[in-house]
Amino acid sequence: MTFSKSNITSHRTIRGKAAIVGAGRSDIGRVPGKSVMALAAQAAKAALADAGIARSKIDGVLSSIALAAPFHRFSVAFSEYFGIQPTFSNTLQVSGATAATMFNIAAAAIAGGLAENVLVLSADSLLTGLSADLALRALTEGRDQQYEMPFGIPAANTFAMTAHRHMKEFGTTSEQLAKVAVIHREHALRTPGAQMTTAITVSDVLNSPWATTPYHKLDCSLISDGAAAFIVSSADSARTAFKTRPIYILGGGECYTHEHIFLMPSLTTTGAVHSSAKAYAMAGCSPKDIDVAGVYDCFTGTVIMMMEDLGFCPKGEGGRFVDDRQITYGGSIPCNTHGGLLSFVHPGFPGGLFHFLEVVHQLRGECGERQVAGAELGLVHSLGGGFSTQATTILGTEATL
Amino acid sequence: MRKVDPRLAHIKPLPTPDPDSNAYWQGLSEGKLLLQHCTVCKNVQFYQQAICRKCGSEHLEHRAASGRGTVHSFSVVHRAPGLAFKDDTPYAVLLVELEEGPRMVSSLIGADPLTVAFDMPVELVCEKRADENVVLPRFRPA
Repeated sequence: MTFSKSNITSHRTIRGKAAIVGAGRSDIGRVPGKSVMALAAQAAKAALADAGIARSKIDGVLSSIALAAPFHRFSVAFSEYFGIQPTFSNTLQVSGATAATMFNIAAAAIAGGLAENVLVLSADSLLTGLSADLALRALTEGRDQQYEMPFGIPAANTFAMTAHRHMKEFGTTSEQLAKVAVIHREHALRTPGAQMTTAITVSDVLNSPWATTPYHKLDCSLISDGAAAFIVSSADSARTAFKTRPIYILGGGECYTHEHIFLMPSLTTTGAVHSSAKAYAMAGCSPKDIDVAGVYDCFTGTVIMMMEDLGFCPKGEGGRFVDDRQITYGGSIPCNTHGGLLSFVHPGFPGGLFHFLEVVHQLRGECGERQVAGAELGLVHSLGGGFSTQATTILGTEATL
Repeated sequence: MRKVDPRLAHIKPLPTPDPDSNAYWQGLSEGKLLLQHCTVCKNVQFYQQAICRKCGSEHLEHRAASGRGTVHSFSVVHRAPGLAFKDDTPYAVLLVELEEGPRMVSSLIGADPLTVAFDMPVELVCEKRADENVVLPRFRPA
């Protein structure tokens, strides 16, 4: 695949045109007695309260779909439920990458005059609304019905085959994979409300039952209920019209290399190389400038591969990079300081929004004992569909504009 | 989008051929794994579609693959993706690299799933499913 220079350095940009001015979440983890819509409404209210505006100010709504509430037009159904009639709306579906695409598209819509205040939203109830078994089956339904599903290929399996190949090509070890889970658990233990609340060791991970090789149960992300919501507004109004310190959208990029796992160009190098290159170029920064990151951690090996493809370490060295604790406090790029999908919460489509929630809180300086000192520039990367979908967003404080 | 009906969750998902893939599934029922060969750019592709993915040509020929390949990657499933596959665990999902170049997803048959290894030679087995009118392309150690 080739990208022309003009693709990467277009004079048209979303840099600094819009900012996240409100952020909130619902109850998370196992949340009985709340429908998907109720979770969504709880998160949306929290985001509005954070921004300090009334729901009547929302004129745009972007959402993902929800597996436990299969509205074709979730963003429209939610607007009705919430009692608003927006003039810009869409329900986006590029699997796990949907999270970052919502921010990139919200910024573009605002820059293009389609909306002023966009509610970015995702909610699902995989644990109590579906059950773990039905959630896994629903995720498997996302594989191709003719060429993948008949062989019993779980969503986890596509990621497992890439990690397996990474181990063969670069000598990445099961212990290094486990280290990712251990560090994420350390982070979750500092985060109020995290679904997982007990410390784990490398041997705990290695002794947990196999899920799909090379992944043990503790290499896999959680199955949860939960919702998160954000208010994205124009940079012009962000400085004055809201209660919060605005966090600006500085760059965005996406890349879609394949649909079927058997057509992934390389099992060990992903489209994140291109999505992040576009985002860095737009933001005018490089990986070494990033202070804090939220990186989609559906499985432990995913984080190792993303450290390489997002440019935080050279190709093939991701295993050693996490083994050296470069992805936590004191390391070169603290990642997923909330605990991520592995240990904080993973309600499916909303999962990637919790990376945004944490990076926004880090950039505002609101993380207390989890705070990464002096964090001004953040990166969030979302991905999905067996690495078929990749989206990157770079965020920054006023000082980075 | 489709919500999984809990009453049907024990049934395995089966392929429904479409106009692009009718010949493929027909070929399997005759014991052949058909690949598409582009007569314009010589690209060989899996799966069957109306155009060549490399050059866009509609001049595609079906030719039977040798059925030989190697394991490019694999994952042994212990936690089934739902009720339908629970009785099959552990089973080995394979990413097979065919001799002709293309890769495809399949699963191992005729050997202990725990014996699969990278680059292991495998060969095609057209498996008629007893309960359904469908033939699936599976692979056994060569």
